[in-house]
Formats: sequence, C-alpha cells, structure tokens
Amino acid sequence: MSKTVVLFGTESGNAEMVAEDFITELEAHGSAALADMTDFDIADFDPSDSYIIVCSTHGDGELPSGAWPFLRALEEETPDLTGIRFRIFGLGNSSYEIYSHGSEIIDEKLRELGAERIGVYGRHDASDGSLPNDSALEWLQDALIPA
Amino acid sequence: MNSTVHPAGQPSVAIVGGGPAGCYTAQFLRKAWPDSEIVIFDRLPMPHGLVRYGVAPDHPGTKAIAKQFDRLFERDSVRFVGTTIISSDPDTGDFSVAQLRAAFDVVVLATGLHADRPLGDAGDVLPGSQLNGVYGAGRLTRLINGHPHENVTDVHIGRHSVIVGQGNVAIDLLRLFLTPAERLRELGIAPEVVASITAAPVSRIDIVGRSLCGEAKFDTAMIRELGKLEDIRFEADQLEIGELSGAAETARRDAVATLIAGSDPTATRLVHFWFGWAPVAILGDDSVRAVALRPVTGIVPSAVLRSALPSGATTSQTIELVADSVCTAIGFTEHPDAPFRRIDHEDPEHTDLDRGVLGDDLYCVGWLRRGPRGTIPENRADARMVADTIVAHHSNTTTTKAGLAALPSRSASATAELHLSKETS
Repeated sequence: MSKTVVLFGTESGNAEMVAEDFITELEAHGSAALADMTDFDIADFDPSDSYIIVCSTHGDGELPSGAWPFLRALEEETPDLTGIRFRIFGLGNSSYEIYSHGSEIIDEKLRELGAERIGVYGRHDASDGSLPNDSALEWLQDALIPA
Repeated sequence: MNSTVHPAGQPSVAIVGGGPAGCYTAQFLRKAWPDSEIVIFDRLPMPHGLVRYGVAPDHPGTKAIAKQFDRLFERDSVRFVGTTIISSDPDTGDFSVAQLRAAFDVVVLATGLHADRPLGDAGDVLPGSQLNGVYGAGRLTRLINGHPHENVTDVHIGRHSVIVGQGNVAIDLLRLFLTPAERLRELGIAPEVVASITAAPVSRIDIVGRSLCGEAKFDTAMIRELGKLEDIRFEADQLEIGELSGAAETARRDAVATLIAGSDPTATRLVHFWFGWAPVAILGDDSVRAVALRPVTGIVPSAVLRSALPSGATTSQTIELVADSVCTAIGFTEHPDAPFRRIDHEDPEHTDLDRGVLGDDLYCVGWLRRGPRGTIPENRADARMVADTIVAHHSNTTTTKAGLAALPSRSASATAELHLSKETS
C-alpha cells in the first residue's frame, strides 16, 4: 500500500518535531511513516510512496548535521529518482542566515537526480520566535487538499 | 506509587539536570523505551537550563527549542522534579547520587558546567580579576535571562567595556550591550538589568581574543547579525594578519571585513576587535580602570606583528584600554562548590568518557561529558550517542528498579514536583 514518508533533516530537533506533527495529521488520512535523514536508506525510495521533506538550516545557510548522511548517500550513489514525487518544507531564520537554504540544498539534489517537487515550497521563518509547527500544519492542510 | 510496575527491559532512568543535554537524552531514551519511568531532576524550579538562562533573549529561534522539551513533560510522560539538589555527599542536598543509583536502573549526569572560567593561565589568576566591574559572561547571561540566583546590584557596564573572548557568547554580550534599552525591555529583560547595561550609556566596546580573525571562535552568522545594530563604527586590529587555511577561516575574516566596510564612519559608538591579543592585567584600585593587553606571541612572525602595532609599540610592550567594566567570555568550567564533580564519580574500571560512561549504570552527557564546546543543538548529537550507549548496555535487562517510588522520602516542604502544563502556559 502506498504511504506518505515524512523525511526530516534536523540539527536541534525542531524539524523532527514538525515531522512528528505531520505524521499525526497524515495518519488521520492514510498510511504515513517517519524517517530521519541520518539513517534513511536511499534504496528505500519507492515511486508508489509520496514524500514530504522537512529540513532545517544550520549556521550560515548550511545543511543541518542530521541531513549530511542523506546528502552524501545521494551524491555517492547518484540513484535515479525519476518517478519520485516530493513536497518540501524548509525551516530557517532570516535574521542571521541565508534563509532556509538548508532545505534548498536537498531540494536541488533530489531534482537533479530526477525527482519531481510538487506543491508550494513551504517555509517557516523563526526570526520572530514563532514555532514552525502551526505554519507547517497550515501548509500541510493545503497540500492534502486534492487539486 | 510503590506498586509501580515497569515492563521488562525498560529500565527506570534518572537524569540529573534539565538543560539541553538532559532533555535531549530523555527524548532519545523515550523513543527507545516508551514505557520506562524517566525522571529529570533539576536544582531550579524550571527545566530548560541554558535554553532558558544562556541563550540570548533576542534569539527566539534558539529559545524555541524549549518547546520540544516541553513536549517531553506534556506528552511523553517524562517527569520533572525541580528544586532538588543531587549531591555526591549524602549529608548535603536532597538526594545523593548513590541514592539515585539505588533507586533507578540508569542514572545520567547532565549538569553542565556552571562557572565562568577565570582569566589567567592554569591556576594563575590574572592580576586584577577580583576588581569590581569584572563580570563573567555566564553570570551576565543568567542575569539577562532572569535566573533566580543572580543579583544585579553590583553590575554596571559603564561607558567603556572590554569583552575578553570572541566566541558566540562574547558576541551575544556585545550585541545586547549595544541594543537600545527600549528593545531590551521589549525582550522581557528586567528594567533594573537593562539599566545596569545601558545607563551610562555604552559608547565603546573593545572585544579581545587570542586568536587571529580566521581562527576566532565566533560563527559568521553572529557577525553578520551585528550589522543590523545602529550607530556603530566597527574597526579591527590585525584583521589582515595570518594565513587563511580554509573556507571557514576566509568566511570569518570576510564577515568581519564586510561588517567594518558597511559600518557608519560617523557613528558615535565604537566597537574595536582585537585579534591576536591577550590581557596581561586588569588595572584599578577598587574598581576596573583599564585593561593591559599584549600581542600573543608565537602565532604571528614578530616582524609582521611589529609592523601591525601602533607606531613605537613593541611586542613586549603592553597597551592599556580604558574600561569601566570587563566581561570575560572565555568558556565555562565546573563550579568549585558544585554539589558534585564529575571526577567524584569516575572510576578507572568503567569510565569511558568517549561513550558517556562514568560507572556501572552511571553516565554523563553534554558539557559535563565533553567540555564547554558547541552550540545548544550540538547536545542533541551528544545525547543521541550517549543514549545509544545506554540502550546497548540495557537491552537485556530483565529486572528493573522502581525509580522515584524507591527514593527515600523527604519532607513535604522540600518536595516540589512541578506540572509543566501549568508552569509554562
């Protein structure tokens, strides 16, 4: 059965918290699975599943440490991701970084390997101290409504 | 309570210290053991440690990590027991480490490093360190964040402040010292604390570090953020000195150069970065009057150094910076009066700090384990590693200790178990 895989890359755990909220919401609609970019096996990419990427930004626009194993695997094995469809939600802070750039690194790599990004690119700016969870869930609601 | 039954293989866990290291550890252990009793003890009434009392109040994005930790208590059945001192000595504090070890299958020490590392070389305190007007950054950030044990009465930053250290904590202080009083009050900083910072007001800050710019400890994002402050002229000493060995070094120097180039030459306030300098003495009678600096030898060829010095100065000669206050931000260490020291609980047979092991069923995590390095989120990776160690050790546990229920009782007035859903609303 097809499912929605929520794949997160995190440094502080905030992206994981958003991903967990997505899972709670998605499970009300169907089958969902949570995966951490740190130990996700890229051989598990399955065109019959749909993917939601949640990725934060670390330092000055860098990838969070939890996303590095995923990016390295994609770079080393260069799998053909044709047929993989993903939505993406990026976390960042516009007051002291290249805003939300961490997620863009993953987005670019996935598309370079043939995956297709669908829907609106979701972003949350933590510069005002708001938590990403509410805006992320709003974004997810829009994503869940069939076009 | 005494009838509490824990499922086989899901040990009871006591974590001492409710800061990031302790909370992240609880998160990972909860994932491995959904039914374990996990209790976090803290000497303060509230959890979150440095997220609450160390992170600058104008960095709400980092403060938001606290929300994750609240989920532990609100949703994931991790218990918080505050206002409780755990000590090495059975006669002081509320419980001893030995009592915790008798009651819980796993005890994790996550108390961090509370004291400001003093200026001076090992065991040799810098002359003048005891003068009025010398403040540790840990103390100042606690004060700014409303820590219940800090007192503002003797704190006066004055017109001229010298910050020693160039890590992110030092940059936090620099930024907050130059933030308008009104904004500081908006951030929730107590009015008397705001006044102690801004009353003079601050007109010049010298920020001194032993390293050259490329090797300085700050993150470039912190420097870029300084560009948003108004009415400040930035300048730097020895910015162009030294080899740049990599991208990070180049990025640091570029960030400072960009900051300087973009700052207003007619501004009324000045920030001067001193790269490759170290204080040799703090001068004054009762209170700080000046700081004597000397170039750090050995990191730059002396010929290069001489050419970079003000005319007439030599590498052995000191220069004096006028100062109303000196703020030290050169790292943290165990407090001499801490209820326990890590060394008290190390034993040659078991201790393996690389994996977070102190003794049999006794672990340490975070700054207490690895020293005062890294940002708050880095404790997550640390906690993950130590939690993996703990879970591996206890994967075959069949008998479990009763946890909180097995602790000896203490007087009712001393018992303060908080319900965070009420406290943090």
